[in-house]
Amino acid sequence: MPTFDFPSLVWWGLPLVAAPVIIHLINLLRHKQVRWAAMEFLLASQRKYRTRVLLKQILLLCLRVAAVLGVVLALAQPRWQHALGQLLGAGRTSHVVILDDSYSMGDMSAGDRVGETSAFDRGRLVVERIGGELATASGGHDFTLGRVSSFARAADEGSPPRFDLDRDAVAPAFVQRLRDELARMPCSQSDADPRGALAAALEALGSGAAAAKVLWLVSDFRAKDWQAADEMADVLRRITAGGVELRLVDCAAEGTAGNLTIERLEVAGGVPATGVVLPIDVAVRNDSARPVSGVAVELREDGAERPGARIDAIPAGGVAVQRFDVRFPTSGSHVIEARIAADAVPADNLRSAVVDVADRIDVLVIDGDPQGGSRTGDAFYLATALAPGAGAPTGLRPRVEPPRALATLDLAAFDCIWLLDVPQFDPPEVAALEAYAKGGGGVVFFGGPRTRVDVLNRTLHRAGAGLYPVPLAGPVDLGGVATADGPDVRVEDHPVVAVLSGQRNPLLDAVRVERYLAVERGYEPPSGDGLRRLLSLRNGVPFVVERPFGAGLVVAVLSTAAPVWNNWARGNPSWVVVMLELESHLAAARRRAGALEVGVPLEVVLESGSDAHDVDFLVPPVGTLVHQTAAVGADGRLTARLPTATAGAYAARWKRLDGTERERAFAVNVGVDEGRLERIGRDRLDRTLAGIPFRYDTAAALDPGSGTLAGVSLLHPLLYALLAILVIEQIVAYAASYHLPARRPAA
Amino acid sequence: MTPVSRRYLHPEAIARIARLELRARAVVEGVLAGLHKSPYKGQSVEFLQHREYVRGDDLRRVDWKVWGRQDRLYVKEFEEETNLRLALLVDGSASMDYRSGPLSKYDCAATLAASLAWLALSHGDAAGCAVFDDRVRASVPARTKRSQLTNVVEVLETPRGGRGTAFLPVLKSLAETLPRRGLVVIVSDLLGDRDGVFQGLQMLRKRGHDLVLLHVMDEDELEFPFDGPTRFEGLEVPEQIACNPRALRAGYLAALEAFLADARRRAAAARCDYSLVRTGEPLDAALVKFLSRRARMPL
Repeated sequence: MPTFDFPSLVWWGLPLVAAPVIIHLINLLRHKQVRWAAMEFLLASQRKYRTRVLLKQILLLCLRVAAVLGVVLALAQPRWQHALGQLLGAGRTSHVVILDDSYSMGDMSAGDRVGETSAFDRGRLVVERIGGELATASGGHDFTLGRVSSFARAADEGSPPRFDLDRDAVAPAFVQRLRDELARMPCSQSDADPRGALAAALEALGSGAAAAKVLWLVSDFRAKDWQAADEMADVLRRITAGGVELRLVDCAAEGTAGNLTIERLEVAGGVPATGVVLPIDVAVRNDSARPVSGVAVELREDGAERPGARIDAIPAGGVAVQRFDVRFPTSGSHVIEARIAADAVPADNLRSAVVDVADRIDVLVIDGDPQGGSRTGDAFYLATALAPGAGAPTGLRPRVEPPRALATLDLAAFDCIWLLDVPQFDPPEVAALEAYAKGGGGVVFFGGPRTRVDVLNRTLHRAGAGLYPVPLAGPVDLGGVATADGPDVRVEDHPVVAVLSGQRNPLLDAVRVERYLAVERGYEPPSGDGLRRLLSLRNGVPFVVERPFGAGLVVAVLSTAAPVWNNWARGNPSWVVVMLELESHLAAARRRAGALEVGVPLEVVLESGSDAHDVDFLVPPVGTLVHQTAAVGADGRLTARLPTATAGAYAARWKRLDGTERERAFAVNVGVDEGRLERIGRDRLDRTLAGIPFRYDTAAALDPGSGTLAGVSLLHPLLYALLAILVIEQIVAYAASYHLPARRPAA
Repeated sequence: MTPVSRRYLHPEAIARIARLELRARAVVEGVLAGLHKSPYKGQSVEFLQHREYVRGDDLRRVDWKVWGRQDRLYVKEFEEETNLRLALLVDGSASMDYRSGPLSKYDCAATLAASLAWLALSHGDAAGCAVFDDRVRASVPARTKRSQLTNVVEVLETPRGGRGTAFLPVLKSLAETLPRRGLVVIVSDLLGDRDGVFQGLQMLRKRGHDLVLLHVMDEDELEFPFDGPTRFEGLEVPEQIACNPRALRAGYLAALEAFLADARRRAAAARCDYSLVRTGEPLDAALVKFLSRRARMPL
């Protein structure tokens, strides 16, 4: 069956086929009139030649229509796609090129040193070379080009995937267009793997009508991209099952100069309040095969350079953490940036974070004691630990409230919620607490004599579906003697109590526990429940446990805060330390919520009754202003969204209806795993793609082999047929006396 | 000459014909005398010159008065003139109106007729003329007077009715009305009642007339040079043909050739001197061709 390189020309050109007929009809209307004397000879001639002339005219008309049709078809570049065409070399070939532009393609390794050409540069040259060779090859080709990051971003934004070039016919002018398109393509900062792009390629190749199809995957073939090997193999198997030729082109350099990645930049505990020292950790990962030393780490605070630090050594494949103590003098959003020296992959040498600093951070303390406020109650000891006084500023401001406040207060305003021996909870209070925890909030339960175990199990634990981490059996005396059987409290492996871990800790050894709330006997948490112990008792039962709930964390201390069932809070410094660490730990989940990766759109949720709908985003690296208008999303919230393509600190500014301005900062960073330059290797690639026919080339040794893909064009046969039609037309026209006889030269 | 007569009598053509007369045998005997074999003897004799008697001369031509005065024998020589009656029959039907150049067929035929009349009159012969289509529309009997040329021209310029041609009744009536035998010249395109033409010619021939047929055809009619879509409408017939002329040209020319061959054959059968005149040719050349051919005819 014939196909056309430019099928639209057929539809545009087909009406021209009627031109000879129309001209013929017009000529019928344009007869010139001659008053003629010798009609008898004319009539005799007409009687004699009428049939012959009519047949010749019809034949001539048909030939002229065929000639016009031939020209139209020739311009549309027809090809034969049937069995004969396949036998002779196939017809039109459809090429889909997936160019990996994840930031590992920015690897500028040249052997064991940093060169001047990245893998992405080589990938662009490969794509240009493929297009150039196809343009000079015989046969028809169409060319589709897509970047890995485009499809990942489309998935993040919920928009339909889009190719950069979509079935462009390969013609001489195409090469320049491809070159221009490639020149405009930067290597992205995305960490996406090719699965999304391959799925789009599967769809594109499946919908095309080309006789031959080729999928080119131009990538650096990092092991990270092939972690989901089964999924990659599955989509490639489905592609090749449709008769698609699979070509893999490896653009990575031989050997690698290694890469350092800032893996983390985060507030390592503490309370982000003004004047409070905040530990900032910068974790640098060494992805090379040899240790590195003397790694300089720079830190900038709101754009201002701070004293840097130098990491002495990072082992091969290891991570080293450099801690900076930062004290923010003012409240608001502060941007900190960490930077290391340039290496083979530049994108992961910079990381930023936003620290929201408040003058004081409110924590909610729900006191279950109806007589509350005494200096011997749970709330007193806890509040004292969280806010000891002006001499030791922690930045926290405990707010002690009765249980009913849970249903009336805006819990989101609190950094953490502490519930001290609350006897029971009403459903609205339970609902408010669970919503708070699911949203990333931290909740701590202390037990005590007022705690009603049965109510707590029924309303808060709910067989594991509720907020409370474990089902309780009831209060139990610990019994025994601490000194003989060891300390009453044992430290488990958990960051909150890491400061207390070690051989022997006299402060923790001094803690005596007399009574506690026992967990139901034989309780085994479900797999994946995430239940962790912070502290255990001498008899091996849990004393402090933690379990994630939604995005937040819930901690249950199975004893009292006040020195009623234990003496921990009575003059033991470890009480203050653990409570502050616990507060930082629980609040960290909410603070981490602001961390975003490149490709994930920023979202600013506005209050429809209070905020204007227009939001100005400042986009790094130079603070480009992008104006966005908020719209009500599927979740019913008024949200302004901004796609992210570069890492750095973003800011969103908008006005409230009362005229005041609001600003919010965002830190957008690259995915850290993309910086791992480990290659999948040919052997593993062969194993992964076992049973899938493919051809593997390096960028340097690539032979596009476009000649073998060339099909048989019908253009030349058509041109010969057209020539024959025109010759026959002239002969018939001459025979039909439409040519004037040659004039004899004057004697 | 009046401007009208000048229209038909081109001075250049007449001058060239005059030079040919000097070379032709007819010049000696008078142009028209050399152009036809007259069955009559001339009745008026005009003295030309004396010459000495030679043996064998007719004694009846000896001028005895000169012998009486000079005692020498001289013979009188006379210039003998024919007494020709030229009848010009010009076809004035609608088909004669076709023209591809400056002159229609009728213009050409009238010019020829006037020229012949002028030649005849200039030699003292009688010339008459009739214009006909389906009947005689205008005529003037043959006279020798000098003013006769004006009469001929007036007949040729008589308004015509654009009718068809009916040769037989016209020629039949002329055969009956021409008082004496003479030279009858018919100028026509012969389109129409072709059988009637030759029947009429036979009739005239039987009455002893010498016949000349000048067949006038337009260049277009002979070459059929048309191209492009054309609708032909008959001048004398109601038919119309819309066609590509080049497609019908071959058939047309074949039919025309058959027509001309038939005309020549039937003219010869009627002992009629046939000559084809093309409107594209210079008229003087056509006349010269015609007169030259007449001059070569045996007496």
